[in-house]
Amino acid sequence: MQSKLSTGGKIWHICVIIVVIAYMLTPVFGTIMFSIADEWGGILPKGYTLKWYEELFNDLRFWQAIGRSFLVSILSTVITLIVMVPAVFVAATYLPQYERLMQGIVLLPFALPGIVLAVGLMRIYSSGPIPLTGTIWILVGVYFTVIMPYVYQSVRNSLRSINAIQLVEAAEVLGAGKAQAFLRVVLPNIMPGLLVAGLLSISLLLGEFVLANMLVGGSFEVLQVFLFHKFSISGHLVSAIIVIFFTVIFFFYLIILTISGRRPKAKPVAIAEEGDQA
Amino acid sequence: MSFVEINEVSKSYGQLKVLDRVSLSIERGEFVTLLGPSGCGKSTLLRAIAGLNTIDEGGIVVGGQDITHLPPKRRGVGMVFQSYALFPNMTVFENIAFGLKMEKKPKQEIEQLVNEMIATVDLKGKENNYPHELSGGQQQRVALARSLVKRPTVLLLDEPLSALDAKIRRSLRNEIKEVQKKLNMTTIFVTHDQEEALSVSDRIYVMNHGNIEQSGTPQEIYTSPKTEFVARFIGNYNVWSREELQNTAFRGVPAEGEMFAVRPESIRLTAGPAAEASGEITADGSIVRASVLGNVIRYEVDVSGLAVTVDTLFDKAGQEHRLGSRVTLHIPKDEWKAIQKSPSKTGR
Amino acid sequence: MVRRSTHSRQIMFLVLVPFFLWVIAFMILPVLGMVQASFQHDNGQGFTLGQYIKSLTHPRYLGSFRNSIILSLFSAFVGLAVATFAAYSFTRFSDKVRDRLLSFSNVMTNFAGVPLAYAFVIIFGMNGMLTNVLKKMGLDFLAFDVYSWTGLAMVYVYFQIPVGILLIYPALYGIREEWKEASALLGASGVQFWYRIGFPVLLPSLVGTFSVLFANAMGAYATAYALTLSNFNLTPIVIGALVSGDVYPREELASALAIIMFVILIVTMLISEKMAAIARRRS
Repeated sequence: MQSKLSTGGKIWHICVIIVVIAYMLTPVFGTIMFSIADEWGGILPKGYTLKWYEELFNDLRFWQAIGRSFLVSILSTVITLIVMVPAVFVAATYLPQYERLMQGIVLLPFALPGIVLAVGLMRIYSSGPIPLTGTIWILVGVYFTVIMPYVYQSVRNSLRSINAIQLVEAAEVLGAGKAQAFLRVVLPNIMPGLLVAGLLSISLLLGEFVLANMLVGGSFEVLQVFLFHKFSISGHLVSAIIVIFFTVIFFFYLIILTISGRRPKAKPVAIAEEGDQA
Repeated sequence: MSFVEINEVSKSYGQLKVLDRVSLSIERGEFVTLLGPSGCGKSTLLRAIAGLNTIDEGGIVVGGQDITHLPPKRRGVGMVFQSYALFPNMTVFENIAFGLKMEKKPKQEIEQLVNEMIATVDLKGKENNYPHELSGGQQQRVALARSLVKRPTVLLLDEPLSALDAKIRRSLRNEIKEVQKKLNMTTIFVTHDQEEALSVSDRIYVMNHGNIEQSGTPQEIYTSPKTEFVARFIGNYNVWSREELQNTAFRGVPAEGEMFAVRPESIRLTAGPAAEASGEITADGSIVRASVLGNVIRYEVDVSGLAVTVDTLFDKAGQEHRLGSRVTLHIPKDEWKAIQKSPSKTGR
Repeated sequence: MVRRSTHSRQIMFLVLVPFFLWVIAFMILPVLGMVQASFQHDNGQGFTLGQYIKSLTHPRYLGSFRNSIILSLFSAFVGLAVATFAAYSFTRFSDKVRDRLLSFSNVMTNFAGVPLAYAFVIIFGMNGMLTNVLKKMGLDFLAFDVYSWTGLAMVYVYFQIPVGILLIYPALYGIREEWKEASALLGASGVQFWYRIGFPVLLPSLVGTFSVLFANAMGAYATAYALTLSNFNLTPIVIGALVSGDVYPREELASALAIIMFVILIVTMLISEKMAAIARRRS
């Protein structure tokens, strides 16, 4: 529904977009090139090789790091969804005062970046009755707070777009109990939204660094920490790891777009803040 | 005792009183409409009957049973929502079968009942379609079928037609009436559209600000409004206060009454003075405006500064009164209705 | 009055309990722990305002706040400016192109933290690809030292742009074409439209997005840490060094710094929420 643009106007916009995209992609391409380059001193590399990737794929430590990253990300995401979806549903449908409370709570993570939370968490969970630091569980626990705002937003939007309250009322008048209404009539219709929220959350957590480094560090080395440790060793190796990481993220987004493309309505917009990867 | 009794039901949201000691009684098999502007409380009352809202005072009795404190699923009511609320993840068949499934009926019985209902609402061939694949009218019929298949004691319809085009609305409301008659289903229908209410109802309750202004058959409501609100809400009544009539030259105005309502179609126009029958109230005026509305010509006649709306059936072309021409109005005495003044916060 | 079955109400509360417990365990308790620690002496005892005084007066710590705030303001401002122009250009294209561009931005938000820092080093570092290219081409005045404040600022701006685009896009999309047409018919030029109508309408969203970007940068740790470990004097880095440095951990001071950051971020967040509410009311 755009009005006709003067050709001059259109050219400007095309230029802006090209410049911005080029700027954003330069580090990406540079990294890709570096990961397949043999040696690089001048303008072009001396040769091309896949040896860096070979080295990585033969490194057990690499696979362990990726495995741990996926493990903790998927575990956190699944547990968070299981805890939050019913809670958000109940609050949104039956208990509006609790919904307001929730809306306030899900904003807190933005004032508690990783480094700030890490200080408090280490204090509470390093010793005393519940020693969690150094184990996977403290990460799972705190990652809940990292993805909570996005999961909340996603579930809330899904519930709104299917008009969950009316569906539940109709189901109740037809004889369903509250749990039946949720399982039969609400859950199936918010599934796509939940899938997208889950994939987005996993992507986010795969890139998380500061909590992983401070709370578990070497005792549970995830991909980002592995990457961090490898930098002093070889820039080429590091660029290969970065390329692999980004490829994984890219595939996740491809899946997300396919799922949300199927629905006629709203697109998901998740904002991964640097604070989350920090 | 009537089949459905609503006794002195009140409800407030904070300071706002949405229902003020409302009472209704409905006979078995009756089609009753709650009619009024938005905010009058009609939907709130309907939802209260369904058990989706709580009430502060009063009681609701259906079929001899006091349902005031029962949850929705134990009330034996069926409800069709304004937005239909069809379950998007289920086919037409599954949507309709849902209520029966909740009653834990055996599979064969469900199949039979659902297929019967699908035939009744004329949706054969659409059993395996999903709601988004259907037209608005078809979706409406699924919503209706879904409630009716459980043979509810009372059927509640919350502005079910407002999302549809005028033409479909008209045919669908007749279909609803037919199904209702066939099943002898006690029905409470909510709408703000008076034409709709007048055409399908056995009885109408006109509501305003949480109160019932008037109840009666469509004829009664239309021809004999009792209050200023009803007169202004229904049809195109001319509504005048005695003060407004004081300086005008109406001849034969009754001595009693503070406010009056006259239907535009009950006023006869003659060109210039004509024989004035006794039992008529008359006045002289001139035509200020004439609009052809299709089958009716609507005139605005100026009678000493007062605007009078007069509707004439447009049955012969070429017989219209000209702008500016002098005419005489003839109003039969029993069409000159005395009505109650409504509190000033009324008005459209 | 219809009685809600108390049984079902109990179950509903049961469903909410895990959520609230989790929030308490992993957000409320850590904050309370930090508040407590921030008022203690270095040995973990007593009650003192010393940690806060040190945080706000000691040159190192005060400096870290100053640096963090300046860097965050700068990267938020530049990031927002670039994002606004880019997002506006997005709106000028067809639905399909727009969606692709937005998805691209969405994916790019993940390129931050450690991977981004290293990518910049690889390309712009002392011996980086682009640096070498520029040197060879005799354009080394264009090269910048990625380990300097300039370099850090460039990296920060880089990761702010995609986030900024996603946040400001809806507001730009909301600038109706009809308003431009109406204003043109009434005699206003393009510039006048933006000055009198476009920009004022956008203002709440701009301020709101700016706040979010500011908070984003304030809390950022990985990027600076990956570049030079603890050598940048930024508050998150300082906090990190205090709890896990080689010298003995100074939990109490770290807690005070962290709580101050928390307060700054809460204020920023309240501003952005207020702006979002204003923007919502208008539309």
